[in-house]
Amino acid sequence: MRVLTLSIFHWMSNVTAAILRRVGIFIVLIVCCGVLADSTAWAQPPEQTKTYTPISELPPTEQIPAARLLVAAYSFVLVAVFLYVVSVGRRLTTVQREVERLEADMKRTGRA
Amino acid sequence: MFIRAVWLILRKDLTVEVRSGEIAYTTLFFAVSCILIFAFALVRDGRAPEDGAAGLLWIAIAFAGTLALGRAFERERQAETLRALLMAPAARPAVYLGKLLGIVALLVGVEAVLVPLVALLFEARAMLAHPVWLAGILAAGTIGFASVGTLFAAMLIRARTRDVLLPVLLYPVIVPVMIAAVRGTAVLLQPEFDAQVAAFWLALLATFDVVFVTLALWTFEPVMTD
Amino acid sequence: MPKWFQPAAIVCAAMFAATPFVIASAPFESTMGLVFKIFFYHMPSAWMFLLGGIVCGVASVRYLFSSDARHDRTAWAAAELTVLFGLLTLVTGPLWARKAWGTWWVWDVRVTASLVSWMIAVAYLLLRRYGGPGSEKLAAGLALFGMANVPFIYISVNYWRTIHPATSVVPTLPVSMGGPLWFCVASFLLLFVLLFKMRVRLEEQRARLDAVYLSLDE
Repeated sequence: MRVLTLSIFHWMSNVTAAILRRVGIFIVLIVCCGVLADSTAWAQPPEQTKTYTPISELPPTEQIPAARLLVAAYSFVLVAVFLYVVSVGRRLTTVQREVERLEADMKRTGRA
Repeated sequence: MFIRAVWLILRKDLTVEVRSGEIAYTTLFFAVSCILIFAFALVRDGRAPEDGAAGLLWIAIAFAGTLALGRAFERERQAETLRALLMAPAARPAVYLGKLLGIVALLVGVEAVLVPLVALLFEARAMLAHPVWLAGILAAGTIGFASVGTLFAAMLIRARTRDVLLPVLLYPVIVPVMIAAVRGTAVLLQPEFDAQVAAFWLALLATFDVVFVTLALWTFEPVMTD
Repeated sequence: MPKWFQPAAIVCAAMFAATPFVIASAPFESTMGLVFKIFFYHMPSAWMFLLGGIVCGVASVRYLFSSDARHDRTAWAAAELTVLFGLLTLVTGPLWARKAWGTWWVWDVRVTASLVSWMIAVAYLLLRRYGGPGSEKLAAGLALFGMANVPFIYISVNYWRTIHPATSVVPTLPVSMGGPLWFCVASFLLLFVLLFKMRVRLEEQRARLDAVYLSLDE
């Protein structure tokens, strides 16, 4: 079991970006399902928010459905984090590959 | 010894400036051009925007100051005199103070022309009604701007993209100075002059100056060392 | 990457996948309704933004006076995370504010001060990227100035606002919505730690690469 996880770990570190992409898509799908379920389950709230005027001086707000804002917010967070993870992963893989290539070269040429 | 080093550096800068006038004249003309562009952009039907004068004055000072900072240190870089200064037996913070006072002197000269011009073009003669307060706010604001600007400009001397990086780094950091200076100057434009509010903004500016000059003196040495 | 990274990443992903369900179970906020659920992502982002800023500032000070490259790597990684979480905060905030306060943007103290601090963090990254060699110390100086500036930004923006009467008064944020909020905070904190570790690792590998190139030249 330990050998299996260690070998998987070694394999993963060389294909970090590809794994991250798959895991990321999976998470985005799950969360989108969750958010959609959440917003459809709470179908009543928009009526309540229509009558809500937070401050008396403010004019009544236009009717942007709250669910759309909510989905936009959550999606933005996930997409931004995901893009950042992919960016760092890609840079890390490039540098690691370069280091390994150089060290292999050095070993072959006997540290000339 | 420290004071003498500061004075020598200041005197060097002022002497070069008086003899060539390169930075002074170009900065002044740039500031006046800025004010003119604001005038064309904002004066409608011959009437200036209300309360606009304070903001426009300080925008012009900020832009002109950025130019002056860039030029002052570019001159040092080209002549490689900064390295000589740093190798001199003077304490590093003395170099910073000397440069700071030089920049402040230059900006005060520019402001001496800008303030009457703004007062004239934007119907803000009330600004000149309280000269002591105005001088105080101008001095404190200029020192605040220059204290951070001198350090950043000195830091960026060897950087590749120093021209664009100086405003990029400088403007977010001097936001409190801009707010306090503009609001303080705007108080002078009110029909009833509120000394308490003006004193608050002046005190905030003075505190900023003290804190940031101290910080700059403290970090000038490690930042300029490679 | 250290051994704890992979399991921690899976735990973090699972926690984030669970957040919509956890948030749905939170008590329904009577005044703002559904849009209040944004708060559960907005506030932890804001806290991570603040945490990143503090870590960057402290690491920068230590780097300025010790020249230890590890502190420089910490500062750079923390600055990137500050920009990321600041962006999340500054986007989720207006999305919430549009419904809650009727306007996309308010010149409120916290909002404006966050924007200015975020811009200082972006300036830090621009300096690291385009400043050329030797920009480590300069960036550390900028971070120090940025951190020292925060009280001044707050005070000046606060009094700048009261002179022009505010068109909306920011309602005091309810600090405890109990379990769901802390679950989200824990998820974001774990995410912060993981991203931080990844980013520091990138810098360490770059330093290793530089060392290899240097030894090749000998």
